[in-house]
Amino acid sequence: MITAENLSRVYEMGKVTVHALRGVSLTIQKGEFVGIMGASGSGKSTLLHLLGLLDKPTEGRIILGGIDVKDLTDRQRTRFRLKRLGYVFQDYALVPELTVEENVFLTSMVRGTPKEEYLVQSHQILDRIGLSDRLSHKHNELSGGQQQRVAIARAMVNKPEILFADEPCANLDSESSRNVLDLFKQINQEMAQTIVMVSHEDWHKRYFNRIITLRDGEIISDGPPS
Amino acid sequence: MLTDLRVSFFLASRGILRGSRGSLYLTVLIIAMVFTNMIFMPSIILGFIKVAEDQIITYQTGNIIISPHGDERFIEDVSSLLEKVNRIPGVLRASAHYGTGVTLRYKGNSIGSTVVAINPDDERLVTDVYQKMSDGDYLADGENDEIIIGIHTSGHKDPSLDMGVTLGYVKAGDEVIVEYTNGVSKAYHVKGIIETGSFYADQGAYITWDELESVFDRKVDYATELIIKTHPGTYEPEVKTMLYRFGIREKVQTWQDILEEAMGRAVQNFSMLNSITVVVSLIIAIVVLFIVIMIKTLNSRRQIGVLKAIGVDKNIIIHNYVFQVLILTTLGVIVGTALVESMVAILTVYPFQFPDGEVTPVVATSDLVNNTIMLYVASFVAGYIPAWQVANEDILTAMRS
Repeated sequence: MITAENLSRVYEMGKVTVHALRGVSLTIQKGEFVGIMGASGSGKSTLLHLLGLLDKPTEGRIILGGIDVKDLTDRQRTRFRLKRLGYVFQDYALVPELTVEENVFLTSMVRGTPKEEYLVQSHQILDRIGLSDRLSHKHNELSGGQQQRVAIARAMVNKPEILFADEPCANLDSESSRNVLDLFKQINQEMAQTIVMVSHEDWHKRYFNRIITLRDGEIISDGPPS
Repeated sequence: MLTDLRVSFFLASRGILRGSRGSLYLTVLIIAMVFTNMIFMPSIILGFIKVAEDQIITYQTGNIIISPHGDERFIEDVSSLLEKVNRIPGVLRASAHYGTGVTLRYKGNSIGSTVVAINPDDERLVTDVYQKMSDGDYLADGENDEIIIGIHTSGHKDPSLDMGVTLGYVKAGDEVIVEYTNGVSKAYHVKGIIETGSFYADQGAYITWDELESVFDRKVDYATELIIKTHPGTYEPEVKTMLYRFGIREKVQTWQDILEEAMGRAVQNFSMLNSITVVVSLIIAIVVLFIVIMIKTLNSRRQIGVLKAIGVDKNIIIHNYVFQVLILTTLGVIVGTALVESMVAILTVYPFQFPDGEVTPVVATSDLVNNTIMLYVASFVAGYIPAWQVANEDILTAMRS
């Protein structure tokens, strides 16, 4: 599903060179719920961005679903993200001018899915996450937890091969965080959805079936939660 | 491509409908004012030219004027010429004028003026001066010892309305003395006062052709000019060509030729002023829209980054903002057109007063279309550049902003 070989990412910040990732290699199989953990600055978000095609590695290569993404143009990377990947961000990142329903079906619209079809799909997914009564609400009429669930619905509506989540609970209280993580777990188990999630909260570990821990841009452990 | 445009329009319409209302109203108002500015100035200039055209045709030259050829002072054998001209297709009627310099005297006031001899029956078919008698009546064929005088020569009751030296408020029924250059001095009964609004017509004085012959004490078969009224809808240059083809040797000019001679330079200057106004308006529109879209995109950098991250192509994002600008421009043009039409309606009821008459704005369809197209092009540029700049930003940089 995902193969990363010898990934490095170096940032030039003025005269300072920052090695965010140093030769990371890993493989993630379909259906895994992988937690990428580590302290702040360990390189976990950088790794997620590289795997999710939001950034390009300085060195190394990534193979997603059998495709070496290094050879893709920017336009092809955009299409790849649209058709095969899903994202959930820390701050929900809903489009403020769109309603819940519109936020969810936006990517389906971009994919060219017929209207009747994407309306049914978005209603189904919103029904599944318990927000079918909030279709015409705007983001500022929802709680943080509800907004993050809408973001998950948006990411899931096109049935992506891999769902990337970048600290999705960072802005949520513990109850909302639990609800969101339960939802991820449910999606992973019931739909065999591959999920790669960045977190720095120790108590999240019990939701993952594999944890990759980074320190100073290198993997220091990789395995099931202890 | 069509799907992408549909998504762009979807995002744009939601952005407009659910974005800041204050910003929307203000932007539309500014575009409407810019559009009004682009249309209004040319409409006044057109109105001014229209007044000049109308007055030249209605009170001065008719549709076509024939004047002596080259250095000659008179058109000879004018009766035959009139007969010939009146037979030419497209000509409704021709009227001969004989203008001569005179001195007019009234109650101790005297001014130099021109008295024009006319055949009133012909003249009624060629000009509308007979309909513009503010006091008394128009002349009739065969009348002697009668004169009609323009208001700028007779003078107003309120002297502050006078535009120059006058006889000091002559009224119908008064008596004025006319001194001709041949030494004849004669008292005339003022039959009427002309007030057309045309400076040319309102500064003259008119007598009948019979009266002229009695002053000269001979038959006068020559004229200083011949003015021609054409049938409605006739294209004057064709009649001009026809007149030459019929052997007319005198100088023939259409009203367009006269207008070009009299106002060509003024029209050029007006056009230049108009172009400057349009360019300044367009620059204002570009700057305003550029700022509006720049602020919108800068405030939405993170959102743009997120859209790109979830797979929305940057062209969809750029077109979203371009559509927003085009929607704002459309609303601005609609409001601007309504503003222009309202101003035209008001100024039709309360026109601008100029020495040569009342000027009402005339909105040319071509100006409306051209300025609308220019505004759309300007808007497109103003919307595209800032959207392109932000949409081309690296995803993570945009998302971290």
